[in-house]
Amino acid sequence: MREEIRKIQSLMESAEYVTDAPVATSVHLALTLRKPLLIEGHAGVGKTEVAKVMARMLETNLIRLQCYEGLDAAAALYEWNYQKQLLHIKLHEGGQRSVDQEEHEIFSESFLLKRPLLQAITQERSPVLLVDEVDRADEEFEAFMLEVFSDWQVTIPEIGTIKATHPPHVILTSNRVRELSDALRRRCLYLWIDYPSYDKEVTIVERKVPGINPRLAGEIARFMESLRRVRLAKVPGVAETLDWATALAALHADHLDETLVSETLGCVLKDADDIKRFRAEVGKAGLSPFLQTPS
Amino acid sequence: MPDRALSRAVVRFANLLRRQTLPITPRQVIDAVQSLDHLDLADRHEVYLGLRAGLVTRPEEVAIFDRAFDAFWRARTEADEVGEALAGPALPGEAPEPSLESQGARKERLELEGWGDEEEGDDGGEPLGVPVASEMEALVTRDFSTFSADQLDELLRLTVQIARRLARRVSRRRRPVRRRGRIDLRRTLRANLTRGEIIELRYRQRKRRKVRLVLLCDVSGSMDLYSRFLLQFLFALQHVFSRVETFTFSVHLTRVTDHLRQRSYRAVLRRLQELRDWSGGTRIGESLAEFNRSWSHLVDRRTIVILLSDGWDTGDPEVLATELLRIKRRAGRVIWLNPLLGNPSYQPLTRGMAAALPLVDHFAAAHNLAALRELADRLHL
Repeated sequence: MREEIRKIQSLMESAEYVTDAPVATSVHLALTLRKPLLIEGHAGVGKTEVAKVMARMLETNLIRLQCYEGLDAAAALYEWNYQKQLLHIKLHEGGQRSVDQEEHEIFSESFLLKRPLLQAITQERSPVLLVDEVDRADEEFEAFMLEVFSDWQVTIPEIGTIKATHPPHVILTSNRVRELSDALRRRCLYLWIDYPSYDKEVTIVERKVPGINPRLAGEIARFMESLRRVRLAKVPGVAETLDWATALAALHADHLDETLVSETLGCVLKDADDIKRFRAEVGKAGLSPFLQTPS
Repeated sequence: MPDRALSRAVVRFANLLRRQTLPITPRQVIDAVQSLDHLDLADRHEVYLGLRAGLVTRPEEVAIFDRAFDAFWRARTEADEVGEALAGPALPGEAPEPSLESQGARKERLELEGWGDEEEGDDGGEPLGVPVASEMEALVTRDFSTFSADQLDELLRLTVQIARRLARRVSRRRRPVRRRGRIDLRRTLRANLTRGEIIELRYRQRKRRKVRLVLLCDVSGSMDLYSRFLLQFLFALQHVFSRVETFTFSVHLTRVTDHLRQRSYRAVLRRLQELRDWSGGTRIGESLAEFNRSWSHLVDRRTIVILLSDGWDTGDPEVLATELLRIKRRAGRVIWLNPLLGNPSYQPLTRGMAAALPLVDHFAAAHNLAALRELADRLHL
């Protein structure tokens, strides 16, 4: 393994993120090739976490652009502070200044509201730009983003062109609500994060819930592993595992039993049908099939 | 820059992947070559991960990539000479590639090439022999299954024609909005800049989003013909929607969206025939379960799910009901098309149909052109 990748792995580990070779290699290449990294995976497997950890690792700012339906250039790039502009005009109403002067004044940088994309290109040091859940944004926005990513400059008619001196490191995440365009995919490095293996999940639980009973951590991971093999409507992710582990640790549990699982099931299963099916299953065969090592 | 031989090997590898239908751009290849500079070439797994990050763009491609990677970079690794095999000048030339082309694969490819050659002209061919009005009306209301084989071609053309006309209408149609929308401060301010007072308000209307379609077509036995017409019809309508996802099923579910996107449509229809499963009945419930497991992320409240089937389900009606309910909860609307409904004496009494009916927003026939035309009016939310 290359030294840099090992270093990234250990840096990520020290930033409280349990990582593996695919993640570390992708992050390494994203940093060296300066390409955006597109991360896909099921909900709750820690996609967003990669960006946060990367920012911590590089000791730089994390700028987050949360995507949603109808997100447009104005909300992502910049907007003028209209209220402030109005007030300013009102305050200087009786003044002698010409319209030109007035306009020059209110369209200066102090009236500019920088949104995430503009923020990302006006930093002293390359930040990490997290474009979260990019699949929620419209296709038009995707195209707009590609344009910004291609040369990292933005033109504001009233001010001029702003070019990034320190282009950001870009992480995009997607839950695959909508298939992303090929154009976007091809410009990115790609990483698929799957549910963690048993060993990895145990490590994650022990790392993130300090003081948890080791036996309990093992049982939790085993339980989650079995649960993900059952056909569920809402498959629990690592986020659920951690919620649950925290809850169980707070209850001072040291192992799983039926009552305990039943009482805290809401941390793990979030679909009424799933809960019903699970209860029926446990009623029939007990908890033990869920705690066995898969053959 | 990495070693020349190695760079060329990566280029050849990318070509191999392209032949396996991975859409790889030159830019990606350049980056992949450059990424080798930042990887430990003696570590096969690391090279694998690095190339995968650069050349794969969606999870479905990983399996193809893995097979190609194994075949292409396998040469001489058995002797644990990984580094040499990767960096050595005597790189496996074309040698490993044929190994991917088992007989079956080659046959498949020949077929694919055949598709590419299909002339697409017919779809767009303008001076169609459009039947005169009365004749046309007769065609429009006749059940598809009553046409003879040589009339079907003509009818398919007519289907496309009608769909195209509808598409124009549907995409132009505007619905009145109840609200005037939000005040657009930016334009308001601009408009009133020289006045010092806000006199004229500017509004911003909410953006209208296109609807997504998910099609699940029964292609078993007699349903195949109807599926073909429905697909043809919706294919011609597709730019009205933001996205059309198509699946076919009989015993198993097959996603055919990609075929529909890439190739001549007539050939796709022929392909559908090949996919048809003669082995047994239809298991709608199981097919829907498969859909929910792997593809439920395609369905949201802006999605219309259209299911075309006669409801002759040989599976468990309970499963059908559960899975359909699951779809209904996510989808904006569920439409069930049953060509048998075109027959006035038909009653939806099969167990499958009876279980499904309460969960369906709209139940209609799709047995003739008039019915398809009517369907188009239902395709908005």
